[in-house]
Order: sequence, then structure tokens, then C-alpha cells
Amino acid sequence: MKRVPILLLALLVIASLLLTACGGGGATQPAAKSNEAINIYTIWPEKYSSAIFAAFTKDTGVKVNFVRFSSGEALARIVAEKDNPQVDVLFGGPADTFAAGVEKSVFEPYSPKSADKIPSKFKDANNNWVGVAVNPICFMFNAKTLKEKNITAPTSWDDLLNPAFKSGLQMADARTSGTAISRILSLTSFMSEDAAYDYQKKLHQNVQMYTKSGAGGALPIATGQAIGGVFFLVDTLEIKQQGHDVVISYPKEGVAYAVEAMALIKGAKQPALAKKFLDWASTADMQKLYEANKINFIPTNPDVKVTDPALDMSKVKMFEVDIVKAGKDRQRLVDRWINQVVK
Amino acid sequence: MMKAGSNSPLKRDPALLPALLVIWAAMGVFILYPLVRLLLVAFFDDGQFTFSHIIHTFSNWYDRQALYNSLFLAVTVSLAGVCLGFIYAYAVTRLALPRAVKWLLGAITVLPLISPPFTSSIAMTLALGPNGMLIKWLGLPNFSIYGFWGTWLSEVLTLFPVAFLTLNGVLQAIDPNLEDAALSLGETKWRTFLRITCPLAVPGIANAFLLLFASSLADFATPLILAGHSFPVLPTQAYLQITGLHDLKGGAALSFVLLLPALGIYLLQRYWVGNRSYVTITGKAGARTKARGLDTCATVLILTICLLTASFILFLYSIIFVGSVVKVWGVNYGLTLDHYNYVFTRGFKAITDTLLIALTAMPIGALLGVMIGYLTTRKEFVGNRLLEFVALLNYALPGTVIGIAYIVAFNSGPIVLTGTMMIIVSAYVFRYDATGIRSTIASLKQIDQSLEEASLSLGESAFNTFRKVTLPLIIPAVSAGMKFLFIRAMTAISATIFLVSVRWTLLTTRILECMTELQFAQASAFSVILILIVFTASGLITLCFRLAYPRYDRI
Repeated sequence: MKRVPILLLALLVIASLLLTACGGGGATQPAAKSNEAINIYTIWPEKYSSAIFAAFTKDTGVKVNFVRFSSGEALARIVAEKDNPQVDVLFGGPADTFAAGVEKSVFEPYSPKSADKIPSKFKDANNNWVGVAVNPICFMFNAKTLKEKNITAPTSWDDLLNPAFKSGLQMADARTSGTAISRILSLTSFMSEDAAYDYQKKLHQNVQMYTKSGAGGALPIATGQAIGGVFFLVDTLEIKQQGHDVVISYPKEGVAYAVEAMALIKGAKQPALAKKFLDWASTADMQKLYEANKINFIPTNPDVKVTDPALDMSKVKMFEVDIVKAGKDRQRLVDRWINQVVK
Repeated sequence: MMKAGSNSPLKRDPALLPALLVIWAAMGVFILYPLVRLLLVAFFDDGQFTFSHIIHTFSNWYDRQALYNSLFLAVTVSLAGVCLGFIYAYAVTRLALPRAVKWLLGAITVLPLISPPFTSSIAMTLALGPNGMLIKWLGLPNFSIYGFWGTWLSEVLTLFPVAFLTLNGVLQAIDPNLEDAALSLGETKWRTFLRITCPLAVPGIANAFLLLFASSLADFATPLILAGHSFPVLPTQAYLQITGLHDLKGGAALSFVLLLPALGIYLLQRYWVGNRSYVTITGKAGARTKARGLDTCATVLILTICLLTASFILFLYSIIFVGSVVKVWGVNYGLTLDHYNYVFTRGFKAITDTLLIALTAMPIGALLGVMIGYLTTRKEFVGNRLLEFVALLNYALPGTVIGIAYIVAFNSGPIVLTGTMMIIVSAYVFRYDATGIRSTIASLKQIDQSLEEASLSLGESAFNTFRKVTLPLIIPAVSAGMKFLFIRAMTAISATIFLVSVRWTLLTTRILECMTELQFAQASAFSVILILIVFTASGLITLCFRLAYPRYDRI
């Protein structure tokens, strides 16, 4: 140790950095054996995703490695990784995210073999993505608070303007959340855009906070910190299944809905396996997994019947939304929301 | 002290040049290169330089408001955080408290650092939010936690431990003999504190302020939960621009704006610390006396402040603990271990991955931190200040942006690292080493260079002088830097969202996932496990240092 220069320390730093590089470095070069596995970015919650992927592995023997992101994060990553894609498939998440991906040309068009049964309104016209589930907007309120205030669950968009809810609602922020965009699209489906923004200005009085994620307000409502809000059905059913005392209702005017989609990544390292997955995930059998695994989505395949009354949409009025047009309008709707509603 | 010319440092210390080359190479690859790649994305369209993305975003009142808010928040958070950190450090180093109490105060300050901001922010809304428990119990008027106050309070609690860690080392190094001397010359205790202790702690205070300012400026997780729509801040806006509006260019451009205030504060702290001398450790001191502290009134005040914050922190974490062992918070308070079962089955890989990454990042970061801190304060060479500032760059930018910059830079081109463990390790090392560097710098400012010169003139090599003379004196700073890096590697969230891969998942991303999937209980269980790991590791680090340097506590 007598004459060890500081250089040795420096070399040690570099050596240890290189060592970690080697430790994980092999990861970029898929080993021969990993032909058995595909890589997926999923937007569905971990427990939903792992149930679906486990079934796929069971049926085909192909393993699935996955990471879960919010839709915006997943798309940001796929776009950033465009020159050297890290995954083969993007799974789950609202179709408008997929439409935005089409604009950035990160997907490879592919029409899965068993997708004919899925109605065309749930698919991209150019086969860039296929819808596997439907997720409508709904109202969710804390049952106890409603009872205390002696108010019945709202059944109209106008009911949300009730002064009794002043500073008591939580719902998603339009800049971050697809839930909020669907909320705005619901309004513009049955009234003019100007009227929809006048309505939102009034609604703003009753909003305690706009949350960054679509589901963000659900727990505060469940625990009585807020009274109610507008959510995607899947989040409200999750809260209900945990045992919280909440009521879910729909406005009589109608609601927009999100189509949950999947797509093949352009430049995927394992296109054949990815196509195998997309074929499998378009079958009716796959969508039958939803109910068994408490995956609270509504199937897009008409052959799959649901028995859960919470998923029965026959009495709910649903608006058809033009996803491509909605994608183009989005920036304008958000800007208007910031400048007129939040200000 | 060191003059150029025939006695130039490069000639005296032949290892300096290679060491500098290695450090610059590492910083070039892991700090400058990713930022340049991202700058190209943000400011170039089809090869044409453009300000359009930044102009577009700042033409929006909301984003301008976000800039003002960010600055205001960073200033108020760092003021309050440094004060609180100083009070804690003072209590631990200067008051005659039982060892157990000192240990407890130190341990409690680590808590807010450990858990990712998501869990503590949620606990905070359960305590102080609408219908919050504390609000009800104490009969406080319902105030809105969403907005400035909630964000401020949460950031002060999360960041003051950083100030505590830095200042603890600095106050420990101030020889109580100096305070004794003032007292025996007839100064009052209070004036001794103001005129001796405080001025000598300036390097520590300035460096702590710089660290807190930069982290508050770059923090996105706390405002994400607590700021709501009424108090936009820039890092959150940048994140929204990227993930919500799919506008990477705009988001990146927005983030680079944050570098200006960070540079400003860096220059301000350099000016403040200046070239004055803060030397308190010399070769001449005799035996150290016991610290005397302040008069009773001030002691009571300090203890009250410590007690209040400590109990509030404990209260928040007991919410998390209870949340992890009850069936459903708010519905069924029956006890269950189900959530831990989930953590150890579905989340086990995340735990081992995170541990491995943190354990790898820690020694690398410690080496690099001490080297950069030592070289920039002790050796004079061209670009000395530049090196110090570049080392701070990644710390001052929002983690989200660092994450994106790393994917853009290391996914294709000459260096491909995506999906590896190294990309995460290097992100941590080059982002969070700032703390180790700053506390090393603050400590070195207190040590008389003549100690090292004596060793050199007695014929010891530069390395042996460093190892036998300098290192033992700055050990508290080194250990603080290592602990901080380990904790951050275990808990960082913003950068890693974009760096985790199918092969490497991390605890914090799993916690964030549980929060967004409405699984409060599982998120709490993950947090509790995380806290236990960090406490164990932190204890082991202290133990190792004690074994290697038996006088560690008394230096």
C-alpha cells in the first residue's frame, strides 16, 4: 500500500463501473434460450396483467417478461426507444394513447387471426391496434357521505353541480389523464363545446382537487376525504371490491368510453412471438379470463357474455367517440381547459 | 496556498492528471453526453436550431406560474429545511442529551428520507387532508392541504434530513475548545453561538442550502400528489408535458429552464462561502472539551421543536405501518399479514434487484464523491470550478428528464445500456453523488491544509497522506454521503420510472404502481420493508466505519 497512487482509486471506479456493465450487459443481447420469451410494456395493473400473461404462457409455453407503466409513460418510453425497441408488444391502455403512437409511427400494422369477431369500431382502420376491452366513464360517490347529506346518487351531469358538493369532488386533471379527456368528450358528445366549457366552469366550484392520475381521487373518496367524482368504471369497481362503501352511477345523458388496445411494436426483436401473442389475445377465450380474474373491463368480443350486473351496460347510454379526431382535438381541449376552467 | 510554477500541483502529484482524466471521462459519458443528446432533441427540429418549443410552453400563463412557484417553493423549503436540519444537528452535537435520545433523533430524521414521497404524501393527506385524523383530533380548522402548504410541509420534512446529515458532520468537526475560549473570554453563550459556532458552520449551511434548493427545484413526486391544480411547479409540468401531452421536446425544454436558478444558487453559495478561512481542525489543538451548548431557554426551545417534528414524523409513519397490517384502511381494521405475503411473493424480485443496485451504487459513488470533493477543494487545476458544477448538473434537473436523457443517449449509438443494471446504477451515482461531494467539500474547508503539508514534507506520498491524514478527518462526511446514496438508490423514483426494464424492476416503482392501482395496503407494506432494509444497512455502514476508524464519533 506504500505507493499506491490515487490513480489506482480512479481505476477502481472505472473497473467497478465496467463490472456492472458486464453484469447486466448481456441483457441487450438476447440469449438463444430467450426465444421462448417476449417482452411487453403493459398499461393494465400488475395483477390484471400477470393473470393474462400467465394464461398465455400456460396455453403456448411462451414466457412473458413485462413492466407496467401509466399510458403516458409507456408511450414516452416506446418513442424514446424507437431506434432500438426494448419490447415486442404494448398491451392495454386507452386507444387514444395508441393513436398518438401511430402519429409517431412506433407500431407495425398487424391484423390478428382471431380479431374478425371484434367489431370494427373497436379496431384501428389500418390495423395498427386492436381493442380488447371497453371501459366507460361513470360517477362514484361515498355512500355514507351521501346519506349524511340526504342526497341520492347523481344520475345526470347537472346533478354534479349541486351546491352541497362544494369543494368536495375529486377528478382527473385534463393534462395528464385519459380519464379527464373522456370526461370532456362525454360532455361535448351531447352539447356544444362552448356549453361544455361553461358547464365545466360551474363544476369547478365543486372540485376540491384535480388529480394527476385518473384513479387518484378514488381512494380519498373511499376514505371519506372527498365526496365523489368522475372515473373510469374499472377504478370504481376495484374500490368497491376492496369493500369500500361507494355507489356507482351513470348520467342519463350518456358517457364516453375508452377502448383498451394492444399493438405490435415496429422493429420488435421477436415479431413472430409477438404476433402469436396478439393472435391469442384476440380470441374470445382470452376475454373470458376477465370475469374469472376480477378484471373489471367489458369484453369487446360479442361472443363473451358477462354475468356481473356491474358490467351490464344495456341500460347505460354510451357515446361513440372518434378516436382519431379526439386525438387531433386533444391539445386544443386541454389548452381551453387550462385557460377557462382552472384559471 | 498552492502556488503554480516550479511547484505546480501536476508535478508534485503525478497521479492528479490521470485521476482528472478518469473523472472527466466518467462525467462526460454519464452527465454531459446524455444532456447534450437531450438538448439536441429539445432545441433542434430537422437539424435546425429552434427556441420554438420553449417559447410555446412559456407563452402559457400556467407554465410561467409554474416557474415562479418552483422558485418560491425551493427558496422557502430550503430556508425552513436548513433551519430545521441545523436545529437537529445542534441538538445532537451540542446538547448534553443521553446517547439513546441522540440516536433516536438521528434515526427519526432518516425516516422521511427513506420512504418514497408517494407513501408519505398519502399519509400526510390522511393526517392533515380534508377530514384528516390529526385535524379531527386536535380540532383544527379544515385547511386545504392541496397546494402550496401541503407541498411545502411535505418537502421540508423529506429534505431537512439532507441538511441534518451535512450539518451534523460540520458541527461535529467544530472544536468545542473554540467555543470554550469565547466563553472564558466573557462572551455569553448566545453570542458565542452567533459569533463562533454559526460563522464556522457557514460552509455546511451554504452547501446544505444548495442541496435543498436543487432537490426541491427538481422534485416532482411530492407536487404530483399534493400540489393539485392550484400550485403548478415546473418538474411536474415537464412530466405532464411528456406523459400527458406526448410532447417530449416541450417537456425537455421546460426542464432545462431549471438549470438557470440552480446555477444562480451555486454561484451565490460560492460567493457566500468565498475564500475566507473556516479552518477549525489544526494540528495544534489539545484535548477536546465537552460541548457546552446554549442556555436553558434556548435548549428547551430546540428540544420542543425536535420533539414536535419527531412526533409528527412518527405519526405519519405509524399510519403507513398500520396501513400495512390492517385488511382495508377505513373499512376493516382486522389484522392481517396478507400484504406482506404479497410483497414477499409478487414483489420479491423488486426487493433483491433494488438491494443489489443500491449496494453496487454505494461504493462507486463514495469513491467518486470523495475524489471529486477532495480534488476540487484541495488541488488547483484548470476547470476546477467547472468540474464542481458539472457534478451538480444531474442533481438539479428533474429526475424524469435525466431518465429520458439516459434512454435517448444509451438506447442507440456508441454506448448501448438500456435494460441493464448499469444504466440504473450510473443514473443513481451521477445524480445523487452531489450530496457526498457537497458534504466532503464542507468538511474539507474546516481542515487546515498544514496538516497535509506536514505529512507531505515528512516524505509521505500524496495517497498515503490522503489515506492517513485527510480521510480520517472527513470520515463523517464520507459516511453521510454513502448513507445518502444508498438511501436514494433504494428510494429514488422519478428517474427510474424511465429506466426500469423487464429485467430490472425496483421497489419504488412497485410502490408507485401499487398507489396508482389503488393498493394502499400493499404500497405501505413495501414501504415498511424498505424502511427496515435501509435502517439495517445504515446501521451496518456506521458499524463498518466505527471498526475502521475507532475515533469516528469523536473527530
